[in-house]
Amino acid sequence: MGTSISTWEGVSAYFAFADSPFALGLFAFGCAAIVAGLIAGIAKHENEAFDKFKK
Amino acid sequence: MEQTPTLESLQAALDAQQAVFSMHQAMNVEVFYWWCTAIMIMIHAGFLAYEMGASRSKNALAAGIKNILALAVIIPTFYLFGWWIYNAFPGGLIPAEAAGALPWATSMGPDVTDMGTGIFWAAFAMFGATTGSILSGAVIERIRVSAFLILTVFLGSVVWILAGAWGWHPDGWLLTKLGYHDVGASGVVHAVAGFFTLGVLINLGARKGKFIDGVAQTISPHSLPMTLIGLMMIIFGFFGFLGGCIIFNGGETGWTTIYNNPTNLSAFAFNTLMGFAGGVIGCYIASRDPFWTMSGGLVGIISVAAALDMYDPALAFIIATVMGVLAVQFAKFLENRGIDDAVGAVAVHGFTGFVAVVLVGVFLAGTPNVGDVPAISFTGQLIGAIVMAVTGFLPGYVISLILKSLGALRVPHEAEDLGLDEVELIAKPYPEANVPATVPSEVPNKLANTEPAL
Repeated sequence: MGTSISTWEGVSAYFAFADSPFALGLFAFGCAAIVAGLIAGIAKHENEAFDKFKK
Repeated sequence: MEQTPTLESLQAALDAQQAVFSMHQAMNVEVFYWWCTAIMIMIHAGFLAYEMGASRSKNALAAGIKNILALAVIIPTFYLFGWWIYNAFPGGLIPAEAAGALPWATSMGPDVTDMGTGIFWAAFAMFGATTGSILSGAVIERIRVSAFLILTVFLGSVVWILAGAWGWHPDGWLLTKLGYHDVGASGVVHAVAGFFTLGVLINLGARKGKFIDGVAQTISPHSLPMTLIGLMMIIFGFFGFLGGCIIFNGGETGWTTIYNNPTNLSAFAFNTLMGFAGGVIGCYIASRDPFWTMSGGLVGIISVAAALDMYDPALAFIIATVMGVLAVQFAKFLENRGIDDAVGAVAVHGFTGFVAVVLVGVFLAGTPNVGDVPAISFTGQLIGAIVMAVTGFLPGYVISLILKSLGALRVPHEAEDLGLDEVELIAKPYPEANVPATVPSEVPNKLANTEPAL
């Protein structure tokens, strides 16, 4: 469903959804969300871990 | 009977040969940068070993995972905005049109007509990851991983590449206005990352026990051999890094620097190795310390990297030796002021990178640049070095200050005492070994500072 080509003749960019800037933008947003989520998740884990060892 | 070739058939055969040649040349370019990128991964393997070894055993895995995660966040963020920054900001702080470098552009993915973008993006992403690793070593054993990752995203995917757009781009304003010359990234990677690190260290503070009554103490690496091997792996990786700094051109041009002046890998080979050797000797003379002796290899290469294309190799050796001595003195200077840089990153990368850029103005002033660009000058190099230092220091200081004010920069004292492996991770580095978490060191301070820090 994500193909951007119907033939290899005269092809240039051929990756999934290359013909759909909206889809590519959505994936870029997802990529950013994963990185942000990772950092937020680590911060949460640190807070919980540090609380456990607080005197 | 053979047909006599016509002019048209000869031209068609020539065009076909030319097309084959051009395709193979484009493939060779890709192959060259592909392997440079692969070799650069060795820098990160080296930093991984180096930082884990430099930590106490109670923090060894935390140091390692921090380093691995730095790679994992810089790569996607460099894809999302780092490459765009490089292409959009060569003129200063006003972005130029660079839509082709945005993550939703068709050039930012598989494209059979584009045999350059992906491979250059990859090499630059690895340069960015190197800046993250430079920061990573200095802050071991007390920074929160989340804070480090925020800082490393800024450094690896924003700050250094902004400086790179200014000083390491054919249209960068430092080149077009001042004739700036920094082929091996002494300024745009090392000085920027080193001064960013300094800004962070000021807010982060020293490890517990580093200073007693103002006198610097030795916090011994739990595995100095691992650290030394890691440093040597970084040196290996430098050959990928420096290979990635040269431009493999098509046609008759051959190799050029990023500033378009002709050069070749032979020039880089002479000065990289002579710089390495000189730096090792300089640091050994100044410290007699194994860690600093091996760090000297980095100092030496960084000290001559800005003009790998132009130095006389013997001059490169002398510069590297002197810089090896000076880098150790600069590390002492910082320690005397209460800065706890666990691996000497500010001295090795920041100070050395800064001076390396200035030295190009001392030894190569008057050397012409290609095209309508000013010649290399002392003033241009000095301004360039200051721009690199400030561009690194300010964001490092400001972002870490914000994190500090939010209580999000440093781990609590209890966690620092117990060790981050036990508190944060579910693994132990040496579960079957009787390695004490902390051993009071009887080794004198490696830099022999006996005066209280100011």
